[in-house]
Amino acid sequence: MSAATILYQQSETRVEDAEEDGTKLWLTLADLTAATGWTLKPEGVCKDEICVPAPDARRAALIRDGASGTLLDLTEFARLIEQPFAHDEKSSVWYFGPAGWEWKTKLSSRRAPDFVLPDIAGKPHTLAELLGKKLLILFWASW
Amino acid sequence: MRQELKDSNFEVVTIACDAKGRAAVEPFIEAAHQMHPSLLDEKLAVAELYDVRNVPAAFWIDETGRMVRANDPIYAQKRNRETGEVTLNREYMDAVRDWVAKGSASDYVMNEHGLDARMPALDSDDVQAAAFFQLGTYLAMHGHSADALVHFKRAHARRPENWTYKRQAWSLGDIERDYGTTFQEAVKDPASGPFYPPLDLGDHRKG
Repeated sequence: MSAATILYQQSETRVEDAEEDGTKLWLTLADLTAATGWTLKPEGVCKDEICVPAPDARRAALIRDGASGTLLDLTEFARLIEQPFAHDEKSSVWYFGPAGWEWKTKLSSRRAPDFVLPDIAGKPHTLAELLGKKLLILFWASW
Repeated sequence: MRQELKDSNFEVVTIACDAKGRAAVEPFIEAAHQMHPSLLDEKLAVAELYDVRNVPAAFWIDETGRMVRANDPIYAQKRNRETGEVTLNREYMDAVRDWVAKGSASDYVMNEHGLDARMPALDSDDVQAAAFFQLGTYLAMHGHSADALVHFKRAHARRPENWTYKRQAWSLGDIERDYGTTFQEAVKDPASGPFYPPLDLGDHRKG
C-alpha cells in the first residue's frame, strides 16, 4: 500500500492506500468513491444515473479482494470505459481523462460546450450565464 | 471592436490558456484595460473541450448557445508586445460585423460540415495525447519539470498538430535544452502541419 495522487478530470485526490502494481492502480472502494465519484454496486460500477456492468471476462482484472477489503483497478475500469489515462511512476501521479461516451460525442449537439472558469479576481463564470448575447470567444496565451 | 459592437447585443470573452495562471496573464489583461470577461483556463481544460490547437483561436456562439463558427486561427496582424493587445485581421473583423448585423443569415455562419471540418471527431490517440499533456502540466507546476518532459514529449508525438501542447510545454522549460529543437525548426516540421493556417472565411454554407 502506498500513497498516490489521482487527477480525475478536474478533481485532485490524494489516496493513502493505493496498490500500484506496475501499470495497475488498485484502490479501496472508499478511495475509489472519494477520488472518482464511482461506486461499486451489485449491478456494476455506478455514478449518478450511469452504471457500467463488469463483464464476467474482465471481472477478475477489475475487482479483487485485498487484505483490507475489496479493491478495484482503476486502470482496468478506464480501459472498460475507453478513458485515456497517464501515469508518472516517480511521483505516483495518475491522470484520468474523459470517458469514451464523453469524448466521442462532445459536439454532436452543436451546442457550445458549457464551462466554468474564473476571471483574474477568482470569480467563477459559466458560459450559460454569458449567453443571451452573441459571443466572440477568443482563446489566447502569454507564451 | 468590442466598443463598436457592444450595444449590438455582442460581447467578447477572452480565455487565457496559461498553466502559470494569473501571474502570467494579469499584466496583459491590465495593460489592455479589458472591459469584457477575461477568464483563465490554467489547465487548458476548456481549450481541450473546444479543440483549440493553437492560439489565438476564435469561436462564435449565438444567443441561444449554439456554436456557429469554430476555431478560426485569427493570428493577429499586429500584437503589441507590451500590452498583448491584438489588432485583428480586417477581413475577420468585417465577418464579425456581418454576423452581428445579420445573425444566422450571415454568410459567415457555418453549417454542420463547416463545423465538423473545424472540430473533427477525436480519436483515441488524440485523447491519449491530452492525458499525457495534462499529467505533464501537473508535474511541471508541482516542481517536477524534468519528469514532465517525458509526458509532454509523448503528447507531442501523438498529436503533433496541436501547437498548444508544444508552446505550453516549451514555456515551462527550455525548447533547445529540453526538446532539442528551436522554435524556427519546430515550425518547419512537416508532421506538425502549418503553424499559421490561412484564415479561411469562405462560404461554409455549401459545406
